Amino acid sequence: MSNPTTKTLDATPSAAAAPRQPVSDGPQAMNGPISSRVTNDRRKDLIQKFAALAGLLVLVAVFSATSDAFLSVGNGMTIALQVTSIAYLGIAATCVIITGGIDLSVGSVLALSGVVAALAVKAGAPVPLGMGLGILVGAFCGLLNGLCVTRLKLPPFIATLGMMMVARGVALQITGARAVSGLGDSFGELGNGAMFRIVRIGEDGFPDVVFPGIPYPVVLMVVIAIAVAIMLSRTTLGRHIYAVGSNAEAARLSGVNVAGVTLFTYVLSGTLAGLTGCVLMSRLVTAQPNEGVMYELDAIASAVIGGTSLIGGVGTISGTAIGAFVIGILRNGLNMNGVSAFTQQIIIGLVILLTVWIDQIRNRR
Amino acid sequence: MQQASLHTAPGRFPTAAAGTELLRLDSITKRFPGVLALDGVGFDLRCGEVHALCGENGAGKSTLMKIISGQYQPDEGSIVYKGEVRRFASSLDAERAGIAIIHQELNLVPHLSVAENIFLAREPKRGWFIDRNALRRQAQACLDRLGVDIRPDAPVKSLSVAQCQMVEIAKALSLNAEIVIMDEPTSSLTESETALLFQVIRELREQGVGIVYISHRLDEMALIVDRVTVLRDGRFVDTRAFADTCVDEIVGLMVGRSLDDKFPERTSVPTEDVLMEVRGLTRRGVFHDVGFDLRRGEILGFAGLMGAGRTEVARAIFGADPLDAGTIRLGGGEVTVKTPRDAIAHGIAYLSEDRKSHGLAVKMSVTQNLTLANMAAVSGALGFIDRKAEEQAAWRYIQMLSIRTPSPHQVARLLSGGNQQKIVIAKWLFRQSRILFFDEPTRGIDVGAKFAIYQLLDRLAAEGIGVVLISSELPEILGLTDRVAVFHEGRITAVLNTRSTSQEEIMHFASGHGRPAAPGAETP
Repeated sequence: MSNPTTKTLDATPSAAAAPRQPVSDGPQAMNGPISSRVTNDRRKDLIQKFAALAGLLVLVAVFSATSDAFLSVGNGMTIALQVTSIAYLGIAATCVIITGGIDLSVGSVLALSGVVAALAVKAGAPVPLGMGLGILVGAFCGLLNGLCVTRLKLPPFIATLGMMMVARGVALQITGARAVSGLGDSFGELGNGAMFRIVRIGEDGFPDVVFPGIPYPVVLMVVIAIAVAIMLSRTTLGRHIYAVGSNAEAARLSGVNVAGVTLFTYVLSGTLAGLTGCVLMSRLVTAQPNEGVMYELDAIASAVIGGTSLIGGVGTISGTAIGAFVIGILRNGLNMNGVSAFTQQIIIGLVILLTVWIDQIRNRR
Repeated sequence: MQQASLHTAPGRFPTAAAGTELLRLDSITKRFPGVLALDGVGFDLRCGEVHALCGENGAGKSTLMKIISGQYQPDEGSIVYKGEVRRFASSLDAERAGIAIIHQELNLVPHLSVAENIFLAREPKRGWFIDRNALRRQAQACLDRLGVDIRPDAPVKSLSVAQCQMVEIAKALSLNAEIVIMDEPTSSLTESETALLFQVIRELREQGVGIVYISHRLDEMALIVDRVTVLRDGRFVDTRAFADTCVDEIVGLMVGRSLDDKFPERTSVPTEDVLMEVRGLTRRGVFHDVGFDLRRGEILGFAGLMGAGRTEVARAIFGADPLDAGTIRLGGGEVTVKTPRDAIAHGIAYLSEDRKSHGLAVKMSVTQNLTLANMAAVSGALGFIDRKAEEQAAWRYIQMLSIRTPSPHQVARLLSGGNQQKIVIAKWLFRQSRILFFDEPTRGIDVGAKFAIYQLLDRLAAEGIGVVLISSELPEILGLTDRVAVFHEGRITAVLNTRSTSQEEIMHFASGHGRPAAPGAETP
């Protein structure tokens, strides 16, 4: 059943093909009003990226001026480390939001995953196995979210709101609402270790840290961000994610497995929440069932600051990374300037309103 | 002119005698950055007349309409309304002056009642609270004036599209509108609903309301239109009394040349080779025992009234909707189609009548839409997309179908309807589909682009593709197809040979009458 059509049509691209001459058509259209719209669109896109990045640089400049300790390698690593959990969750949130969904459960799921990992290690499992189990629990929560959305046709907001409560409840239940501690040094390796750490033994015999190293969570963040960015922009799956968010019905009628694609984003979200849980608990070397409250909102905020549209169909990982760093740098810089946690919250809230408002204005034009 | 100003007295009904001038636009010019949308256009509207505005897409109809309704302000030229030179600062301003517009996309709130919608933001109040009795009474009065049977308490979401339109008109009347602008009012109405709408329009005309009527359906205009103004490329072409002209002449004025052939010469020759054999297709309550053959290289028409089950059958064969019974055989073998993916894998494609909501991912680029149904062809192992191959494919189809786009990366939303339709067609050609269902492919597309689509259908058939054309326009069916399957209430009542049938015979079967003693009827 080879198809004659395309072949034959291909063979004669110019002859029967065009009622109008394509050659003259192209440039003609280029000169029209459409072309100015295109350049406008492209410019708009650039401005948007640039504006977010410029905002980030302005923040860095301001904080560098107000605090001596801000601009240093050590603090840079601290910020990167602090940003990691927002970034993991933000990357996942971006994928979910591009399909037109939302995942409110990640804060609770990360707590459950971390607690499960800790309990497993406590029960004698090796650390990698325990953490693997924790991540699997996160993935399973994501799977349940996805099934509620695709099979039971629940609105994503409701499905993940339910999971948010259930996962938190389970985490509190299995720990008796108590922190799990005494996990041993190896449990803290993932969260506290670093790559390329250079320590020289000084002349006085004390170790002298030449380069603090790149913390493992930061390495993980970079790897995940690049992997997901490539997935979104370069693979069929990524294309399908955008298609589902842009027009689910058109995607379905084009043969896209809409339910499968949607399910994938929730599983990814759950998995990354699980990873976040393990990393966070590892940093503290203690598993807290109350960890991660409201983290889902940080994740959504970073995606939204980065230009992801809550209506779906639009969003990039680079944008979300910028968004995550905007939040991270604001927290860190405000801390260094002695601004109270309450005031910080007010400022971050205002920043979210401001960036989305600017985005709206730009899109309205 | 001076007489007309006498009629500005606030009255519930416009009292002007039919024929007095209500509105006159003189040499209106409107520029947008880089485009001259209107160039010295004149237009006038009398009390109690239906004045049609015709032109291809981009001719300036909607700009003119927006100037009349106050959404745009002209750069040059004057608007004389009821004898006074006016300048409407906004659509609200025009609405207050008595100019109402009914958009193609209706603007009603589905969860509120009919009465609440009619008086939305103008609710009659008693103190701080809505006066529900007055609301219902006043809404009823508006509906009565139209002579339509809609309860003011009914929620709008329970109404049909036609009824919603009536509610919009009632809303316009509640504003004491003296000019009602209707943009493509019949585009989604069935024939009986259209008849009802026309009755209401005649009623309004009797009451002295001036109606600006915009529609692609020129054939219907004969029933209600008094005068017609044709625009082309932003310029005024002519205003004529409808009685003195004919549809072909109007089309000629619109495109700037006489259109002797609305349809291209058919070049394809249908074969006897059966591509698809459908038997006993049933979806309870929707269609029953539908069977037909589709042959290689033929265009098979699906004729029938709206709601006769044509779209539903096509969607079910495509796997978009479930089936209760029936078999589909392709090239001899029976196939199971449960989802669109199955159908696509078998080379079946369905091009929806509603491009924006079912056909295109409007936020995505031309290229991305084009390859969406066949990503495997442009991606390697692990699903990595070969962007070069993708772009090459896009250029190939852009040229092949002469899609007018400045670049393959253009967002689909920004293209015209005809070009969007071509993208959807290109998508299925790229998927190497062997059976194409076209559902109303020329709806909302202007005359020139229609011809290009017709040529394309013929070419596809000539390439050996089986084409099914679902159309509500009988001339289209008669002009393009080889055979016609006529639907009535979910059944195929006849399969006719197009060459030996007639509009009358098709209508006969479409309206559910028995078989007339006519030649050309094959076994259904």
